This record gives sequence, structure tokens and C-alpha cells, in this order.
Amino acid sequence: MELKSFNLLIVGIGGQGVIRAVQILAWAALLDNYKVRTAETHGMAQRGGSISSFLRFGNEVEGPLIPSGNSQVIIALEASEAVRNFRYANSNTIFLINNKVIIPPSVHLMNMEYPDLDSVQKFLEQISSNVFIINGHEEALKAGDIRSLNVYMLGVLVGSEKLPIKQKTLENSIRRFVPKKAQIINKIAFQNGIKNGKIIKEEIE
Amino acid sequence: MSVPHFVVSNPGSHVILLGNEAIARGILEAGVIIGAGYPGTPSSEILSTLAKMYPYFSHLKIEWSINEKVAFEVAYGGSMSNVRSVACMKHVGVNVASDAFMTAAYAGARGGMVLVSADDPNCYSSQNEQDNRYYGLHALVPVFEPSTPQEAKDLIKYAFEFSENFQTVVLFRTTTRLNHGRGDVVLGEIEEIKREYGFDWDRSRWVCLPSHSRVLRLRLLERLKEISEFANDFPYNYLKISKKRLNGKRIGFVSAGVPYAHLIDALNHFGVKDYVSILKLGMVYPPPKKLIKKLFASVDKILVVEELEPFIENILKQIAYDEGLSKEIEIHGKDIFPQNGEFSAELYLENVADFMDLEYNGVQVPDDLIIMPPRLPILCPGCSHRASFYAIKQVEKKLKTKFVNSSDIGCYTLAVYKPLESLDTEVCMGGSIGFANGISKIQSKENPVLAILGDSTFFHSGIPGLINAVHNQNSILVMILDNRSTSMTGFQDNPGTGIKITKELGTKVNIEDLVMGCGVSPENLWVEDSNNLLEMIEKLEKAVKADGVRVFISRHTCSLVEANEFKTKKIVPPTVKVDPEKCKGCLICVNKFGCPSIIFDENEKKAIIEHDTCRGCKVCIDVCIHDAIYMEEE
Repeated sequence: MELKSFNLLIVGIGGQGVIRAVQILAWAALLDNYKVRTAETHGMAQRGGSISSFLRFGNEVEGPLIPSGNSQVIIALEASEAVRNFRYANSNTIFLINNKVIIPPSVHLMNMEYPDLDSVQKFLEQISSNVFIINGHEEALKAGDIRSLNVYMLGVLVGSEKLPIKQKTLENSIRRFVPKKAQIINKIAFQNGIKNGKIIKEEIE
Repeated sequence: MSVPHFVVSNPGSHVILLGNEAIARGILEAGVIIGAGYPGTPSSEILSTLAKMYPYFSHLKIEWSINEKVAFEVAYGGSMSNVRSVACMKHVGVNVASDAFMTAAYAGARGGMVLVSADDPNCYSSQNEQDNRYYGLHALVPVFEPSTPQEAKDLIKYAFEFSENFQTVVLFRTTTRLNHGRGDVVLGEIEEIKREYGFDWDRSRWVCLPSHSRVLRLRLLERLKEISEFANDFPYNYLKISKKRLNGKRIGFVSAGVPYAHLIDALNHFGVKDYVSILKLGMVYPPPKKLIKKLFASVDKILVVEELEPFIENILKQIAYDEGLSKEIEIHGKDIFPQNGEFSAELYLENVADFMDLEYNGVQVPDDLIIMPPRLPILCPGCSHRASFYAIKQVEKKLKTKFVNSSDIGCYTLAVYKPLESLDTEVCMGGSIGFANGISKIQSKENPVLAILGDSTFFHSGIPGLINAVHNQNSILVMILDNRSTSMTGFQDNPGTGIKITKELGTKVNIEDLVMGCGVSPENLWVEDSNNLLEMIEKLEKAVKADGVRVFISRHTCSLVEANEFKTKKIVPPTVKVDPEKCKGCLICVNKFGCPSIIFDENEKKAIIEHDTCRGCKVCIDVCIHDAIYMEEE
């Protein structure tokens, strides 16, 4: 409860569940008695556009925006979106990167290059030594639905023990926000995420 | 969906709300009965949240009005009838409502009357970033501005009481970051208003003809004076004086709205909050002169932290001048913070550090930067607008000419981007037809003038332009892209669907009847399903070649709405495939049509349709000139 502020950024593209993931965390943070703020930036596109969603909680948070260099954790549901948001990171930031790059269709039209997973990783490693590529895509499918990707990544975060929110509270919040028929799948995804997160925990510098 | 309805939880509940949900909750708590608005980002969720409350609170009378002017008038009619009423709109919507608003300011409020304006610094989803605080100054109406969702809820609840106490309309100004940010909120009691409702037949007040308005204006000025005096005791204006000095200077800040919240974060970041004096305004107009003078007496220099125009800064400078203090006190604002865009969180850190001589090191940028191509906003897979614009382009090509495509506000504005690139104007709601009227007076027949707008935009303010064209015989082709939805702002229904905001059945307005009622002759009216590409091209060519005022209704339900309908009705959309034998890799479907579901396999040099995202609209079957795209039979 002595926490002044915790800043977290989840990025991805429209339809991946970025906003829902932040809603789940925000509600959990509230249940743990923190002041909570969130904000989203997204373009006009309904699907497929870049989305970044900020979460801030603690006893000293007023505004929803995170200053650059001040995000403790950045979760990318689509890998290249982490590059777009690198300025929020510092040398201690923990990057949890889903191992999938989704190339925007406009790249073809504009004849431009798009970074692959390797170059995303190399780039982020210039900023922080805590860059973790997560096989979220496969794990979500393994749990039973690609739409459990966001919850799987939250599991990884919990397993890494870098989130000052109780696991139980987060589980309550997931139950509240996930549709009934997807509860079991998301529970599996979350538990598997935690297992993976525990491995990562040992590697965080 | 199992998403919890926090907005209707019990008083005392501690919940997380979107800024707009918090505003809706405050409106509910204030005992408001009438709520009207027109959809517009970032304001839309206020009314739609109220509509979601309706099943629990049936006293609410909520509507999407035809445009913002009518919305304001609907709400003001409520105020005239002694009920608390609210009108909600985006900032540019207030321009539409301003005709009613400016004179309603004179007659004032009977039942509490609040106009919510959602401003959009950085134009996240708007055509400009106008600062609507000036509407308060312009109309001599008080302007409230909240900083957090909690304050938004509390402040708007209070605004209705305030409105009745001073008999004034209140302008409640918000910005995107507040509207679309979430925060923790403690819910309050829902007020029960016990009074007689009904119109009061006070003609000296509601009939604003010159002899009445001269008197009403004097009352307005008197009211403003009273409010100015009260501003010093306004419960959401806070003055905190610090006696401490930093580097020998006594420093003050003045702020309001979202910038106030980020200012506090910045001061906390440096651990200097207790070293500075802060005036926080919950009512930015009229200013609390006594509080400002007290601040002046306690500091050597002041930084006003506000987005967009120097609204508060100029007020402060004026007061400093009046008090003979303009030489004694330094007032900074737009010399430090920019006058455009939304302030990023680090901008507060930089500028606060600079202003207070503190150390701040920005972020180090890595040497090897990756240039990230943007994810451009694009029309969705299966969007009927893509088909309409593709047809327009085909006719243009066939007639070997260039159309003037005067267009409008809506999803279809995205057709300005590659690959369609077929939009020439977009300024304001309904403007497409107005501009086309003017352009057609100059442009020769070789370049036909089209006015292209959506169904909701046509209802909003396209109709007067069409009547104008008929009456003045301005030869234009109006193309109504009727996708049965106000999609860009969240799929709101409109008179074309006949469904009300509460999802109850209303009366449907038929666009064809409306168009003919405006004086367009039946032989100059064409209707076609947007996704029937070949028929579209054939009919459109005729429409372009015809004389006089012509209307072409290109109709197909918004693909996202349709996809949801299919889901509910368990309809499986057709499977569309590319036959790799026939595909020549000509790239027309990818680079000219540009449906995001069609991708190109660089190795095989063939197009592929992604089944996950394809909505089965089948338009690409007609787009392909090699007959390589086909519908798979069951």
C-alpha cells in the first residue's frame, strides 16, 4: 500500500484484447485499494490499427498518461508495436513480447520494409536487458482460443512477480471480465502464463 | 457479454469508470430527465451509457437527435419545462448548436441545463482542435472543467444545481483524455427532484424578440456578475498557498482539466508539490478574482498550464493589468507550453523542470532506430464504402475524366488514403453538398461534381444543401452512402433504421421519399446495393451523365454491423477464394481495391484471401479481371 505509482503499458493492434487486458488489471488494482487511471490511444480504424493502453495505479497518480522512460512494464500483444512505443521504456523496463509480428497491409502499398521479430528483439535490447519473447500465440491456441492471448500474457506478468497486485485479486477480475463460455480457456491460459512467468522471473536483471 | 454494469451500481460503490460513463452517472445522480445529443467522438459514450441505464431508470428520456442544434433545443425545451436536461456533443457539434446556445444564454435556464462539449486536442478523431472554453466567454455562460472521472461525475451533478441557482446554462467542457480515460470513482446518491414539471408560458423570457432580448441581456450581465462573485467560493476552485521558496523564488501554477492532473503528477515526480502555490479551477470562466489576487500576492512568477488557447493565461494577464501588477508578477503560459496538440506526460516534466530550474534528463534514444511504417486507418474488410468508391473510380476511368468528389465526415473519409485516393474535400458535417453547390457553379461539365456523404450525415445537415441545389438549379450528383449505421462513432442507429437509442422501435424515415420530397425528380434518383459492383458502375455512369440535381443511393449495411447480424442469426457468410491457376498476380485486387483480407504471396506471386477476416461480400469477384476469384459452393 506504500506504492506511489506503478506504470504499465500494453500495446498491440485492434481486436487483440489490449483494452480488455488493461480493464482487468485496472479493476484488480482497484480491488487492491489503489487509485487507478487508464488511457488509450488508437487511430480511427476499427480493427487492425495500433493501440496502446496506459495503466497507472498507486497512491500518487492523478493523470492517466505515462511520461516517456517511466513504464515499469511493457506488454506487446503484437511484437512490433513495442518498437513504436519504445520511448516509454527505460533500462529496467520489463518487455513481455508476444512472438508474432503482424504486417500492416499498407506496407505493401507503400513499398516499405517492416521489422521482423529478430530486429524487434535486437532493437529493444538496446534499451533494456529485460526483453522477453513469449510464445503467447501458440500458448493461447493451446489453451483453446487465440483470444486468451491477453490473459496468458497477464499470467506471465504475474509469474514474473513484477506486478504489485495480488494473484487472487487478478483472478477475481479476470472472472468478472471474461465471458462465461471462455472462463475455462482463460483460466488455463492464465495458469500456463504464470508457469512461463516463473521461468522469466529467474532471468530478470 | 459479461461486462459488469458498474454505472448502475449502488451509491457508495467504488468502481472504475470511463470518463464518459462517470459523466453519465453524474447526470443520473443529478436527477436529470432529458438527455439529447448527436454521436461524435469523444462524446458518444455519455448518451449511450444513459441509454444503457434506461432499463433500470425508466424516468430517463434519452434520444439521439438529428443533429447537435436539435439536440440542444430538445434539452433546452426540457429546461423550459422545468426538468433537468443535458445536451452532449463533440466540440465541433457545438458550432452547429451555437445558434440556439447563444440566445438560450440570454433567456437562461429554468430546469438545470448543461451543455457537454467534448473537445479533442490533437484532433484524434476530429477535423480541428477548437477550444470551446471560448463559447463560455462568447455567450457569457459559466464553463466547468473536470480533471478526473471522479471530479467529472461530481462536478456535472453539481452543475445542474448551479444552473438552477443562477438560472444559467452551464457549459461543461471536457477533452478526449478525460472522456476516454478510466479512473476510480465512488458513486453517489441519485437525487429525487420533487417539483411540478411543465411549460410556464413566460413569453417575456422565451420569446427572444428585440424588445425582450434587450431586457434579457441586462439580466444576463447581472447574472454573470453574481456568478463572478460566487466564483471565489465555487466548491471546485481550489487555492493552495505555499510559503516556501525554491531557488529564492515563490512559484505559482494555475491549471484546470486534464492538464491539472498531469501537472500534479509532474510536481510529485520532482517532489516539489509542497513548494509551490497552486490555483486549480473547476470553473474556468468567469474567473475567481479574489483567489487570483491572493495568488498574485503570494508568488513572484506563475505558469499557467492549459492545452490549446491561452484562455486562463489571458484572463490572468487582464486581472494583473487591472490591478496594476503587470510589472510585478511574471505570468507565463504559451511562451512555455505549445498552443497545439495534447501535452504528453513528459512535456509536463520538461517544462515544469525548466520553469523551476530542476534537473530533468529526457529519454535516451537508441542509435539504431527502426523506421516503423504506420498502421494506416483503413476501411474494414467487406466495407461497402470501398465498393462504392471503387465504382466511382471505374466510371471516372471509363469516361476519361476527373470528378470533383466533395465529401464529408464519416468512415468513408478514409477513402482519401491509398489505394482509393478518391476524396477531394472534407470540412464539416453536411459540407459535401454545400461545397458541391458552389463548385458546380464554376466547374465545366467535363468534370462532374459529386457530393458524397453517409446516411447519418445526410440526415444531420445534408438536406438543406440538397434543397438548395434543387431550388437554385445547381447541377450536382449527390451520392448517399447508406450503410444503415452511424459507424465511425460506434454504430448508432439513425432515422434510416428507425431504431431509437433505447433500442425501442421508432418511426423509420425513408431516404428515397425524403430526397423526392426535397424536389429531386424520380428519374434523377438511382438506388443500388453497393456490393453489386457491375450494376453500380452501369447505373452510376448514367447518373453522372444525366442533367440537373441527381441523387444516387448506394446502400449496403455496414460490414461490422452485418457481421454481428450474421452471428446472431447464425448465418455463415460465403467463402470466397482465389484460384491460383487463374490468378496472374496482376495485383489489382491488392493495390487498386485494397481490401485488407486480400494479401499477396510474394513467393508464389498470387493473391490469397484470408478466411479469418473475409466477410464474404464477394465484391472482389467482380474486381478481378481474370475471373480468378470465386465463391466456394456449399
